Amino acid sequence: MAKKHSVQLKEEKCEGCTNCVKNCPTRAIRVHQGQASIIDDLCIDCAECIRTCEYDAKYTRAHQLEYIKDYDYPVLLIPPSFYGQFSHFYDPDILYQSIYDLGFNEIYNVSRSAEALSAKTAKFLKQADNYYISSSCPVTVRLIQKIYPELIEHLLPFKSPVESTAQQARKELIRNNDISGDEIGLFFLTPCPAKLTSLELALGQKASYLDGVLAVNDIYEKILPVIKQQKNNDKQKTHTKQKDKSAAQIKQNEVFDQGIKWGQSGGEEKLLGSFQEHRVLSVSGIKEIQKVLSELVHSNISGIKYFELVSCPQGCVGGVLNVCNSFQAKFNIRTAAKENNQKIITPDQKGEEYDFSLDRPFRSDQRGKLDPDMDRALDKLSRLEEEKDLLPGLDCASCGAPDCETLAEDIVQGKAQRTDCIFMLRQEVQNLAEQISNLARELPPVMSEEKMFKDAYGVHSGDELDQTKGDYNEG
Amino acid sequence: MNKNKILEKEIEARNFNRGGQVSSKLKTALTRLGIIPEVIRKTAIITYELEMNIIIHSNGGRIVVKIDKDEILITARDRGPGIRDVKKALKPGYSTAEEKVREMGFGAGMGLNNVREYSDFLEINTEVDSFTEVRTSIKLSSEE
Repeated sequence: MAKKHSVQLKEEKCEGCTNCVKNCPTRAIRVHQGQASIIDDLCIDCAECIRTCEYDAKYTRAHQLEYIKDYDYPVLLIPPSFYGQFSHFYDPDILYQSIYDLGFNEIYNVSRSAEALSAKTAKFLKQADNYYISSSCPVTVRLIQKIYPELIEHLLPFKSPVESTAQQARKELIRNNDISGDEIGLFFLTPCPAKLTSLELALGQKASYLDGVLAVNDIYEKILPVIKQQKNNDKQKTHTKQKDKSAAQIKQNEVFDQGIKWGQSGGEEKLLGSFQEHRVLSVSGIKEIQKVLSELVHSNISGIKYFELVSCPQGCVGGVLNVCNSFQAKFNIRTAAKENNQKIITPDQKGEEYDFSLDRPFRSDQRGKLDPDMDRALDKLSRLEEEKDLLPGLDCASCGAPDCETLAEDIVQGKAQRTDCIFMLRQEVQNLAEQISNLARELPPVMSEEKMFKDAYGVHSGDELDQTKGDYNEG
Repeated sequence: MNKNKILEKEIEARNFNRGGQVSSKLKTALTRLGIIPEVIRKTAIITYELEMNIIIHSNGGRIVVKIDKDEILITARDRGPGIRDVKKALKPGYSTAEEKVREMGFGAGMGLNNVREYSDFLEINTEVDSFTEVRTSIKLSSEE
């Protein structure tokens, strides 16, 4: 099966510890023969394994910058979270110049579409009977599809700001420039592996509108020296802009103070608040998200109309491909949003150009069925319970599975053995040792006691014969 | 296919921290059997409510879940005060939960009403100052 997931393992670096195994929210990792392996079907690209690996053995498969040369007109889409990478807000012109220098012809800010989506969402929620869950974090969407498919109808049925920006960008670029669609290369600057996976495994769409995805850390190290240098130069001379920009292009380059808040947790909540929708709760971090979803499965939360659930801690600024730590980045974004007091777009005025409609509804991708046949599944389920009762229940992960229950499941599915558990193995060894010890007590016939020899040959002693006689008498 | 017992669990009274455990375990079991998400959701809500009812109102009880090719059958039986007026108990918002419990966010009076809403069959047998037994089932195929 083709590897579609962007979280991958560097085999030579994996030490076979089970840190990643225990922290995987979908129990998608096993360690066998000293090597971790990711079960592709279960991976949601949340990057928890990248976060927890002490040996740097997990990485994200992203496009290299050279890849943009395949396109005549490469364009970079900047996410709101990117503005958190800098401890003071650089003049956007300087920042953009450094990006043009890398070979990009155009820059689009996703923050604009984020604002437009919030406006649309606020309007949508006013008419909705049900509560909705943000579908902008691809990890949250995949988690719901695979583990909480009961909640699928609650996913906000709109495209993410990234995809709608890409769709709109291509449309505008073709219209405003004399180029064809396939000459344009739309690249997203991603803070996380999950957005990268969406390139191949698009959510709610037939295909992604993007052509490639570049990692923030990769681009950051290339532009930072340029930005610093330009800042110094700036004091002496005014830099010449690489391109004459049309009004439309300048509009795309504006940083929207509300939109960039989307890059940190609580941003969507804030935006919706500015559109008079206050029944919103924001939660970040995959473990916390799982707790919220479990409560929602039980219908145990009421009064909330919208859930902003972002898998990375502190929101997109917590993405593993970022450079700046998530706390600093969160603060940076809030500061930048305050300092750049630009007007927020309001519904019915702007932002109507974006198409947020999905090609197809989000579908369940339920995992965990033991067998396609119900009877066999029932049989496996009861065997699974039996195996689980045998196992020690310590969830030590020494077997390479995250917990005893998962090992029991693997055993039933023929993917593991009972003795993969070191405690079960010890028990087996003990049993064997007892057998050996018993065997050692056995003596060769010449040394054995009289009784054994006689038993074997049917010779009875006088006492035993008497006993038999007694039995006869009674009968 | 006969009725297969897929879960049996004792429930302690007043142990609010454990509330939801049976429901979560059942969700895992049903997922393993490949039951469709819609049915799992109904079952999870029903089981959660029944579980909480035992925790809130009774002196402890037991939940048993069985499955056959047509339906999931849940039986929740407890020792306790029983229900004086079943008709009233089924009304949304009607609650006999203590103030203390309500302050914790439980006992809003939606429990049995939710059970009725999401189930395909519901039967309540109860005796005041003795026991309550709720039997309910959910069809495996959704016709709606």
